[in-house]
Amino acid sequence: MKKTLALAGLIGLTAACGGPAATSKAPAPAKLTLVTQTAKAAGPLESATWLLDEEPGTLDLDSDGGTDNRTIMANVCERLMQTQPDMTVKPWLAEKIDQSDPKTMVLDLRAGATFHDGSPITADDVVWSLKRHAGEGMDESDEFEDVESVTKTGERQVTIAFKKPNALFEQAIAGGAGIVLNREVVERLGKEYGTPESPDACSGPYRLKEWKSGTHITIERHDAYWNKNVKPLTRTVTFKWADDTALVNSLVTGAADGAYLSETGPAVALQANKAVTVAYGPTTRVFVLLPTDRGPLKDPRIRRALSLAVDRAGIARSGFAGVARPWKVPVGAGAWSYEKQAFQAAYDQLQGAPETPRIEEAKKLVQEAGTPQAPIIVASNGEQARTVIANAVVDAAKKIGLVAQIKTVPPSEYGGFYTDKAMRAQVDLVPDDWYITKSDPIGFYDNGLTGSSNNWVGYSSPDYDKLVASALAATDPVQRAKDVIELQRRFTADMVWISLVEVPNAVVLGGKVTGPPASQVQIGYPWAADLGVKG
Amino acid sequence: MTAVATLPQGPAAARPFGHRAATAFLGVVVLAAILAPLVAPYEPDAVDFAATLAPVSGDHPLGADQSGRDLLSRILYGARTSLVGPLALLAIASALGVALGTLAAWRRGWVDAVVGRVTDVMYAFPGLLFVVLIVAVFGNGMTTAVIALGLAYAPTIAKYTRSLAITECAKPYIDAYRVQGMGGFAICARHLVPNMARPIVGYLVVLFGEGLMSLATLSFLGFGAQSPSSDWGLMVKEGQPAIVQGAFLPVLVPGAAIALVVVSFNVIGVRLADRMGVRGS
Repeated sequence: MKKTLALAGLIGLTAACGGPAATSKAPAPAKLTLVTQTAKAAGPLESATWLLDEEPGTLDLDSDGGTDNRTIMANVCERLMQTQPDMTVKPWLAEKIDQSDPKTMVLDLRAGATFHDGSPITADDVVWSLKRHAGEGMDESDEFEDVESVTKTGERQVTIAFKKPNALFEQAIAGGAGIVLNREVVERLGKEYGTPESPDACSGPYRLKEWKSGTHITIERHDAYWNKNVKPLTRTVTFKWADDTALVNSLVTGAADGAYLSETGPAVALQANKAVTVAYGPTTRVFVLLPTDRGPLKDPRIRRALSLAVDRAGIARSGFAGVARPWKVPVGAGAWSYEKQAFQAAYDQLQGAPETPRIEEAKKLVQEAGTPQAPIIVASNGEQARTVIANAVVDAAKKIGLVAQIKTVPPSEYGGFYTDKAMRAQVDLVPDDWYITKSDPIGFYDNGLTGSSNNWVGYSSPDYDKLVASALAATDPVQRAKDVIELQRRFTADMVWISLVEVPNAVVLGGKVTGPPASQVQIGYPWAADLGVKG
Repeated sequence: MTAVATLPQGPAAARPFGHRAATAFLGVVVLAAILAPLVAPYEPDAVDFAATLAPVSGDHPLGADQSGRDLLSRILYGARTSLVGPLALLAIASALGVALGTLAAWRRGWVDAVVGRVTDVMYAFPGLLFVVLIVAVFGNGMTTAVIALGLAYAPTIAKYTRSLAITECAKPYIDAYRVQGMGGFAICARHLVPNMARPIVGYLVVLFGEGLMSLATLSFLGFGAQSPSSDWGLMVKEGQPAIVQGAFLPVLVPGAAIALVVVSFNVIGVRLADRMGVRGS
């Protein structure tokens, strides 16, 4: 009898849950409003609890520059340049930058800046820090590939010489490559630096107070902070980690005060709740399809056809609960930190990546290409976004006379596509998300260079390669934007990658707090300094 | 993957009504699996972004998942893999298990000791971990999962068969065949195993539900069926992210299907065990 009741109970439960889902409140992709900053805080806050996806393994960003690590340390460590909430960069620990010679960058350091132990930030510290970042195996070492030397050229001056002009390095030193560490502290701690027992070696508005492994990390306001123009409103911020469900429950019940969201699912559940606010900001993050040269995708006509046939609006609505927008280029608008209007105008003119499918045009391209019948293998890792994208590609392929199949790879192995040729040889398309930490699109387009490790489809164009070199050497933003726009046109015309949707940065705040930026700067800008109570 | 079927203690659990309801339900599921192409309203992998996470409606009687795929159609097609998978794994497990159990009981001595120690070692090793190791070596997918689970279930059936065979071997008819000069293999194949068939089949019916659950677990963990299969365990996995968006049907529908089929097999298995007098063994 008990089992009969259980049968009836299950049937009843299924029926009871048959009502409309909360997702009916998802925003329409086209109506998504992006803001750089949430409403300004009105007053001080004693403490706040902030949620992360997972506990960092280390707080030494040279060892591991993961998003969670950076979200904490952005408040503790400072860079030579600083990315602002509007995604522009401005001098920070470096007071002035001179790059009149494209192969030389002269940094004049700010006077009066001090580390948390009170010692002054010296040119020696800067030289030592940059050399540490450039070290083999360090997280930011790739940023220093063009760097010839880093030398102290004055009491408060450091000069960086390049092997070839690199206009992007200014952006790089606003990220992890520009963090200035207290040499004495890091050397004294040795391998202990970055572990739960060790202090920080930085100069930011917050200092590391406590890391109780497995439980929480707390940072506290550094009252002797050197920059008196910055007045952090919140005294302590405690970081905890939670999965999506726990995150939603913690924020709704007030157990946590905020979080930057890595997934879009919780955003929809939270924005329907009046106890919290969700804000979306500019980002460089875009979901794309990376084609390989093993099968039909080697032909640019097939890539163009798939780009025309895939339902970007549907993917934004279904894979990202509406918290994404169809996107034509492989870099988000957050990268347009200069010449924004020129980038926008060029973006608007692009035709190869429509919001809704243009099936007939796509069919013609497929016919021109001889309607290849070899199946297109689409990779997925079983997560919602990639599953929906893979399904959408299979559906699009079917509608234009192609055959596509899905191959699921465990999430832990998915990154192997970037390093393992044998793994890539098994698939034709890899859906993935991609973001650049620099707010300049040229930081992306080197992926289209002949022989680039991410150019899996074998795209090769000497003119394109020359343009990349020209853009990297152009210290004049107008000239660089012109070059980048041409690169963008060529890259998307041949669909070296197929762009799908831009996923905005999302910050969720509890009912009592406001202030931090909504844009994708939480990994480099001291966002906690702007956090405070609502008016 | 426990060694002994989890049989309820009281006779009330296997009353005829529950048994009939379970049989009728399983009949419907088997018919649905066979007739899926005829009765399913959509193709199981037909994407319709306009129907993303659609609630129960005339168009989608059980709702739709994140890709707008009709859940009813997927459940109907998914019944195929969800029923054939456990059937195949039990075929592998029973072929191995019955052979080993019979061999151990017939030969006794060192053969029995070796078979006994091997099955003990297999028991000591967590079944799911064993399966995950096999999948890690040979790659994920339904075929590997079925073979791995078949191997993992074999010791359970071997132990059960051995206990039945030892009782059976002590019966006079076995001696009678020996006296007549019949060989050991012929006695086992033609008389001993057929005489144990009824209780073994009863036991397999209960194990079927457990096998279905194990396969669904492997698919949920990403080791079994792969996308875009409409395997029920995989459907639960793929539907999970929708919960945080307030949509429960993509998880609840396949979850309920798994639970109902497992409970039904258990009800029928208990009933068979009662009728065959092997209950609680």
